[in-house]
Order: sequence, then C-alpha cells, then structure tokens
Amino acid sequence: MDVIQIIGIGLVAVIISIILKENRPEFAVFISIVVGVIIIVGLIPNVKNIIDYIQNLSSKININSNFVNILLKITGIAILTEFAVSVCNDANEKAIGSKIDLGGKILIISMSLPIIKALLDVILKILP
Amino acid sequence: MDINLLFKIAAIGILVAVLYQVLCRAGREDQAMMTTLAGIVIVLSMVIKEISTLFTTVRTTFNL
Repeated sequence: MDVIQIIGIGLVAVIISIILKENRPEFAVFISIVVGVIIIVGLIPNVKNIIDYIQNLSSKININSNFVNILLKITGIAILTEFAVSVCNDANEKAIGSKIDLGGKILIISMSLPIIKALLDVILKILP
Repeated sequence: MDINLLFKIAAIGILVAVLYQVLCRAGREDQAMMTTLAGIVIVLSMVIKEISTLFTTVRTTFNL
C-alpha cells in the first residue's frame, strides 16, 4: 500500500465522517475505526519486510533472539494501543483512552523485565 | 477489505439519518429509534469483523 492510497483513503474518510458527524455521530466513530483498520492492515506487508530484515540482522550479529521477539511484541502492543487510544480520543472519550494507554504501558513494562534484568547483569559484570 | 466497505458504512449511515428525520417528522419517534438501532447493529457487525481481521493479522506478524 503506497502513500497515495493511504492519503486518498484518509481524505475520503474525513469527508464522509464530517457528513455523518452532524446528525449521526456514532457512524463517524465507525468510519474512523474502519479507516484505521484498512490502513494498518494495508501496511502489514511492509512491516513484515522490516521484521524479516531485523531478524536476519540479529541472527548475523548473534543478538539473543528472544530479546528481538520481545521487542517485536512490544511494537505490536504499541501499534494496537495507539490505534485504540486515538479512536477513543477522537470520540471525546479521553478517560477510556487513557485507561487503554495505561494498560498498554503496564503490559509493555511487564514484558520488558527480562531485558532490564539482562542489562543489569551486563552492568554488574563491567563494574569492578 | 478496502474502500468499498467505507462507502457501505457511509451509505447505511446516511440512510439511517434520513429515515430518522422522515420518521420523526411523521410523528413516529419510537420507530425512528428502532431503525437507528438496526442500522447501528448492522454496521457494528461489519466493523467487528474488520477489527477481528486486524487483530489476527497483527497477532500473527508480531507473534503476540
């Protein structure tokens, strides 16, 4: 999915959601959700290439592979939570958006604990 | 999974809005509310299908 398609779909969706927002605001939320889904799913092939490239690099430099997996998981969580938070803020539901954001952050921190532990081990090894 | 889904939702939304106005003018507010709810349920089922495809694709790519 190249950038022209993304811009086109986005602008068309803005026009449609403005038409619908005036007397049927709930359909405007549907439109913004569907556009988000279309664009993210359209971008997944590009993201797959990036992921394969990173995994090739990390296997060459023999970085610990489950760290790379954890980083990919964190990126996935970040993409999904950002999608949900922006939809919630768009519908003027900032409280729900901040709860989703909080949940995403806590999950990311809980997944990155092994990396933090490994970092501390390396630091302790360096210190005399 | 592309732009015609967007137009389908827009068409249902505009149809429900027009029906709501027409039925309100005709004095049948309850039926107007029913048609609005029906439209919302239809669009919600379509959107939920799209969201589930989003979640499965993201889950497989990032092996969440």
